[in-house]
Amino acid sequence: MHSHQSAASLVLPAHMIQVQHLTKTYEDLRRGRFRAVDQVSFTVRPGEIFGLLGANGAGKTTVLRILSTVLRPTSGIATIDGYDVAHEPAEVRRRIGFVSNNTAIYDRMTAWEMVEYFGQLHGMTNDSLYQRLEKLFDQLRMNEFRDVPGGKMSTGMRQKVSIARALVHDPPVLIFDEATLGLDVLVARNLLAVIRELREAGKCLIFSTHIMSEVERLCDRIAIMHKGRILDSGTLDELTGRHQETDFEELFFSLLSSHEDATHTIDAKEMEVAR
Amino acid sequence: MSLSSKEKRKAAMRAGRPRFSAIRLMYTREMRDQLRDRRTLFTIAVLPMLLYPLVGMLLLQIAQFTRQHTISVCVIGVEHVTDDAEHAETNTFVSPLLVTVEDEEEASPSRLQPLGVSESTPVRFSKTLWDSDSNIDVYAYSAAELSRSGDLEERAQDWVRDQVFDCVVCVRQPLGVNGPVIMQDNQETDAAGASVGLYYNVASDQSMIAKDRMVSILNRWRGSWVRTRLSDAGVELSVLDPFKINDCDIAPERTREAAFWSKLLPFIMLVWAMTGAFYPAIDLVAGEKERGTLETLLCSPALRSEIVWGKLGAVMTFSMMTALLNASSMLVTSSFVFNQIGVGPAGSSMGAPPLIPMLWLLVALIPLSALFSALALAVAAMARSSKEGQYYLMPLMMVTLPLVLLPMLPGTTLNLGTSLIPVTGMFLLVRSLVEGQHMEALTYLPMVAVVTSVCLSLATRWAKRQFESESVLFGDGDQWELGAWMRHLWRDRQRAATPTIAFGCGAVILVALFFGKLAVTEMPDTFGGIAKLIFLPQFGLILAPTLLMATMMTTSLRTSLRLNTVNWRIWSLVAVLAVMLHPLYMQLAGLIGQMYPLSPQALEAMRPFGEHISSAPWLSVILLMAVVPAICEELAFRGFIFGGLVRNNSPVRAVLVTAFMFGISHGVLQQSISATFMGILLGWVALRTGSVLPGILIHFGNNALSVSLGRIAELQLPGMQNLISVDAVSQAPQYHPIWTGCALFVSVACLIGMYRITADMDVMENNDVLADRIISDQPVRDPSLKQYAS
Repeated sequence: MHSHQSAASLVLPAHMIQVQHLTKTYEDLRRGRFRAVDQVSFTVRPGEIFGLLGANGAGKTTVLRILSTVLRPTSGIATIDGYDVAHEPAEVRRRIGFVSNNTAIYDRMTAWEMVEYFGQLHGMTNDSLYQRLEKLFDQLRMNEFRDVPGGKMSTGMRQKVSIARALVHDPPVLIFDEATLGLDVLVARNLLAVIRELREAGKCLIFSTHIMSEVERLCDRIAIMHKGRILDSGTLDELTGRHQETDFEELFFSLLSSHEDATHTIDAKEMEVAR
Repeated sequence: MSLSSKEKRKAAMRAGRPRFSAIRLMYTREMRDQLRDRRTLFTIAVLPMLLYPLVGMLLLQIAQFTRQHTISVCVIGVEHVTDDAEHAETNTFVSPLLVTVEDEEEASPSRLQPLGVSESTPVRFSKTLWDSDSNIDVYAYSAAELSRSGDLEERAQDWVRDQVFDCVVCVRQPLGVNGPVIMQDNQETDAAGASVGLYYNVASDQSMIAKDRMVSILNRWRGSWVRTRLSDAGVELSVLDPFKINDCDIAPERTREAAFWSKLLPFIMLVWAMTGAFYPAIDLVAGEKERGTLETLLCSPALRSEIVWGKLGAVMTFSMMTALLNASSMLVTSSFVFNQIGVGPAGSSMGAPPLIPMLWLLVALIPLSALFSALALAVAAMARSSKEGQYYLMPLMMVTLPLVLLPMLPGTTLNLGTSLIPVTGMFLLVRSLVEGQHMEALTYLPMVAVVTSVCLSLATRWAKRQFESESVLFGDGDQWELGAWMRHLWRDRQRAATPTIAFGCGAVILVALFFGKLAVTEMPDTFGGIAKLIFLPQFGLILAPTLLMATMMTTSLRTSLRLNTVNWRIWSLVAVLAVMLHPLYMQLAGLIGQMYPLSPQALEAMRPFGEHISSAPWLSVILLMAVVPAICEELAFRGFIFGGLVRNNSPVRAVLVTAFMFGISHGVLQQSISATFMGILLGWVALRTGSVLPGILIHFGNNALSVSLGRIAELQLPGMQNLISVDAVSQAPQYHPIWTGCALFVSVACLIGMYRITADMDVMENNDVLADRIISDQPVRDPSLKQYAS
């Protein structure tokens, strides 16, 4: 297994994130054993923003949770910088920053303490930590609420703290899961600007959303997820070329409906066979 | 990344170990977070500081009320109890109960007078009977006068009921030569004529205080009466008191002082240590889940183990702080209050408890707090929100509280048996330390230490497991619904049982056995009856539920009952074990019998059972006592239940839980304990071999030897007396100690052999990974797994 990994990282050094046949199944009371993520594969290079687009419940969050080592995959492999998320989670976590609408900040900690704490958890030395903190707080314009406790912050402030928290150890990979959810237009715009800056800095980014315009404007490559599967992926031009559809929104829905039709016909065939 | 795979692996190993710095970081953060929370501070610090002084003040108030409150008493029949010249010939007492007050100042202050009654005579109780007359107001009326306007008894009752007086003493007629018989309420008395009625109301505190005072006054009066009468009759008063009892407590002063506190204080401390652990635990786990900060933490570089240790440290600190603050607050308040009131249990010196020995409590508090904290953390992890967490407090308390209450029972002392009970043992150990019995404490220290550390490690392990479990941390907020759940059970059947089904099966069997036992009212007196008594529960209550659940809820009987083949090398080791474990089992059962002896009644009740067994045909006994239990019990416990519990990579859970269930199913405490140990061993064998079959053979061998040892001894084979001897007193066959020693050696060798054989095979995989893989049928389709394999 280790040999496999080192081989993979030798062959494809440019790929920071590699996901192969990733599957995650859950026991569910109503649906039974159901696949939240089904045979998902993709790769992301440094300096690239990879967009995961899909409706709620498409399995985006599950994929990203697996990448951030919070969940273990049922099968399949995901590696970050050559480290397997299932077997070397500590190494993986050292190399990622994860921002999600599920990763809240502590109510009883100030912005400064929060970011400082996670920096310390990363084992940063005091010198580099405080340098980094000052830089981040300047960069994200967070100095005016340095000493405000999390409980008293606005949504925008919290989001900034979350980003600073994820960036504190300067990770090569950043994962944003529905990060613009619930933000007002201005804050969301700022966030997208930050993400672009990170790309310029050569970071490898994954960005999941259900908002199509964000994907269109931001992402270098896009994967469209539906019911746990990636229906198609590529650059915006590739996708529009392949499906002969210039309007991205139309493209998305036609993909979804053709997938639905396909599964329905399969279901119908299976029913016939069963009869 | 130019690291070689070996270096990488080393780095991964290093990365897997919790770092002290991270734990400290986590700990300080949690502490700071909790200290910034007003609610926590209130329950941990402010509440105990306020609670005990408030309760103490309340107690003081009550005490003062009891002592100083002025009560009003009415005496009806004043003419019979005063030193009145008018009635001198009928009143035969020496000193009067009431004395007329000449001085108006000294008379009781006049207060409301009952309607239709002329003013009472100014009187007070005779000084010899009640000297502090300031707190009793006496109203005295003549019985003759009152009875003219109605029934005395009715009037007395009305007065008490309407709270005109707190208490009414009614003397209807002159008291005879025998003195007064105090008659409470209106009970019948056979001391004709000479009776004093005492009317009071138990529902009123004032009335009860008045009654108590009146009883003591009347008793004193009667006593003086009797003494005078006796000395008049020429009887020496010393006759009444032929000898004096000089009691002498030989306990050292330290013990005497500590006796009360050494019982109460540990109890208070433990209860608070439990409560103090639970609330922070809920906030630190369920609260974080609810607020969404747990996921932030989980994707940070902190390892799960670091998170658990850090949180455990914080919870433990709060648990200890709560316990200490409560205990010290209670100590200070109560010693102050007791001093004020001047009472203590059994008149012992209650004052301040000896402080230095109490330091032992602190030593014991550390492991117990850690234990409670780990339990609380593990339980709280199951909750999705703080509110849900609160619901889990009760069940946890119900499990742990008996262990804390047990040492409070009278007669529970530190001995081998009690020292092995978790929490209780520690409690009793501390008590003997506080009382200064250091030798006794030292004797049992190893047992208590081992039991406590085993419990502690299990609890922390559980807590860690909880933090590694996805379903615990990310359990979806799905509404549980009976119908959907039943459909889910049927539709999503798997090859082996799930842990839930396994727990369910165990619970069904144990509950059924419990009620089955209740249904048996008397021991049968024929072999057939005994056979029925064994067959029915074995088949009906153990095997039937297992098979039913295995067929209904799983798709493969073979997988769910773990009927896997085992290679011949293991079979040979298992066969040796089946014989060799029995002497050790006997030794263990003997030890347990010494520690927790069976009562003579129980032994008597078992006797006919043994006699029938020894007189029945050997083959049917073997079938009844060895074959049937071995198959039924093993299929249930080491088969179906084990197969469910071992999943999700939980071998320890599977071994321990099935062992406990197996133990409990035996019903009699002594048998349960030895069966639990046997269950651990059988569970280990089941785990290593991945099959239920070896367990059946070992179980069979053990039971078969148990029932036929006597017969083997009777055969008197040549050389057999070197192995088995018959005890001269109890007529019970027993193994020769040398043979037992050999058996120990051989058994250990077999177990090591089994460990080494199975280490090369992937039966361990068989237990969990394969079961799961087969179920999810992933490897067949997943090409990546081929890469793993190569």
